[in-house]
Amino acid sequence: MSNEVEEILKRVQQMKGVIGTIVVSQEGIPIKTTLDNSTTVQYAGLIHQLTAKARSTVRDLDPQNDLTFLRIRSKKHEIMVAPEKEYLLIVVQNPSDGN
Amino acid sequence: MYHPLSCSPSRHLDSSQTQTTEINFKESSEQSKERKDQEIQTDPEVSKEFELLDDNSQALTDFLRRVEPMVCKALEQNIRSHAFDGYEVNWEEDSDVIKCLHLLTHKEMTKDLQCTQLSWNKTGSTLAVAYGRMDHQDWCTHKGALCTWNLDRRGLSSTKADIVIDVPSCLMCVAFHPTKTAWIAGGSFNGQISVWDMSQEDEVLLATCGMSDDSHREPVTQIMWLQDPEKPSKYVLMSTSSDGKILMWEIKERKKQLVLREGFLLLASSLPAGFSRGGRSRTDKEMGVSSLSYVQEDSNLFLVGSESGGIFKCSMNSREPVPTSEVMPSVPLYSPVTFAFEPHNGPVHSVSCSPFHRNLFLACGTDTSARVYSMLESRHIISVEPGAGYLFSAQWSPVRPMVFAVTTGEGQLLIYDLKKSRNVPVQSLQASPESKEVYALEFNKNQKQLLATCDCDGVIMVWQLNDELINQGAREIEALAEIANAIID
Repeated sequence: MSNEVEEILKRVQQMKGVIGTIVVSQEGIPIKTTLDNSTTVQYAGLIHQLTAKARSTVRDLDPQNDLTFLRIRSKKHEIMVAPEKEYLLIVVQNPSDGN
Repeated sequence: MYHPLSCSPSRHLDSSQTQTTEINFKESSEQSKERKDQEIQTDPEVSKEFELLDDNSQALTDFLRRVEPMVCKALEQNIRSHAFDGYEVNWEEDSDVIKCLHLLTHKEMTKDLQCTQLSWNKTGSTLAVAYGRMDHQDWCTHKGALCTWNLDRRGLSSTKADIVIDVPSCLMCVAFHPTKTAWIAGGSFNGQISVWDMSQEDEVLLATCGMSDDSHREPVTQIMWLQDPEKPSKYVLMSTSSDGKILMWEIKERKKQLVLREGFLLLASSLPAGFSRGGRSRTDKEMGVSSLSYVQEDSNLFLVGSESGGIFKCSMNSREPVPTSEVMPSVPLYSPVTFAFEPHNGPVHSVSCSPFHRNLFLACGTDTSARVYSMLESRHIISVEPGAGYLFSAQWSPVRPMVFAVTTGEGQLLIYDLKKSRNVPVQSLQASPESKEVYALEFNKNQKQLLATCDCDGVIMVWQLNDELINQGAREIEALAEIANAIID
């Protein structure tokens, strides 16, 4: 079972330009990571908060609506967040790595 | 008992007694008896261990299974997407203006000396200026000088240098040591090369090459520090001269000497076939070397610009012997040329390798054009002709891959941004108050907003560049690579 978890993460990590992959629990505690410890803690904490805020924003605007995916484009990276009730999947990609 | 002569009325005397109350003394002792010992101890702070939450639940697997396709699709699309190409957000307040921060002159020098070259020190706070003349008809009878200004110093004097070192002949070039802040090397008109240590109080001269069979016979045109190929922690000096020699010097601090380690000689025969001016040049003659530039990642590969207009790719490993001249130096000289580029129609004053692409370089000269070449092609890729007289100096920006600057014979500093235009400068600045020749420009590698220029009247100007010229845009390195690759296709 956990083997499958590792496999999925490996597949994601091998996508072009991917720098790191983190799975975070509902409380913002990292479960799996491919980044170093301090970076993981930072990403997990901050992205968890931001995702919660984004979700409440979407739902406040329209209670029938909900957050499904969050992408943050920065000068260096693109951070993709797949949220769900119990877990968050965070993938950091360098989009200019593709060519 | 009184003297009988006194004629004053007699005094009355009376006796009485007084007594203060008795002072009482009392002695006693006291002593506290109770003692208490108490121990305290702080708990050692438990450093927060990084721990991953252990979760092997089926829910996690299910979650990942659900989101994987969506995430992978997004990742895949994103890497191929060009939606954000060239998209830039500006969060900072722009400073659009380029302003002249300092205008420096050394009063004693400006009478008959010109600024010939500039160099910033390692930290970028001190500017060194070589004083000499570029227009000698015959012997040099001037006394040159090396002046430095520390721009961070309080009470910076704009008419007097902080440190002045007199040199017996015109100083033609200077270069600060890349790691030792106080070391500076200079080359003079008479072919001498010296290294000074500015931190010394009395004896600043650290080493010199003296006048021997090894030294240059003509003015030194450029001097440069290069990481020692044998001991990477040390640096050697490379010098070029109008006598065609490119020499590598090692510093012997104890002996206060510069010792020749390797040498190259540029011959007229290296010019590409079909290029000879008036057919008067003999092919076994040497050609004056006017400038030198090393390729960033490869210290075996360098470029030279010559006084005949030729530009050559050279290798440090070259072992091709050259015909011996009348003077025999202590090491054999080799011809370094491996490839000749399309020459300029007149002396080349400056060559500069791009710090962001190993195949691109810039050259400018008396034919009033500045050209961008690729190492792989003899013909130039881009040519700009500002039409402002001779071009004396050209240099790539150390921070913006697409930006370079040139100085002109009519007193301008022109800054080009290839991202904006390939023939119109984005900035044209008056770098000489009297519109005289601007001989040198130097980007500051540490304080990237600074750029210095100097002119033939001995006026040095330190410029503060605007944000656009110091912040790299998105995909700029890629755009530069596209320019370089265009020639291969």
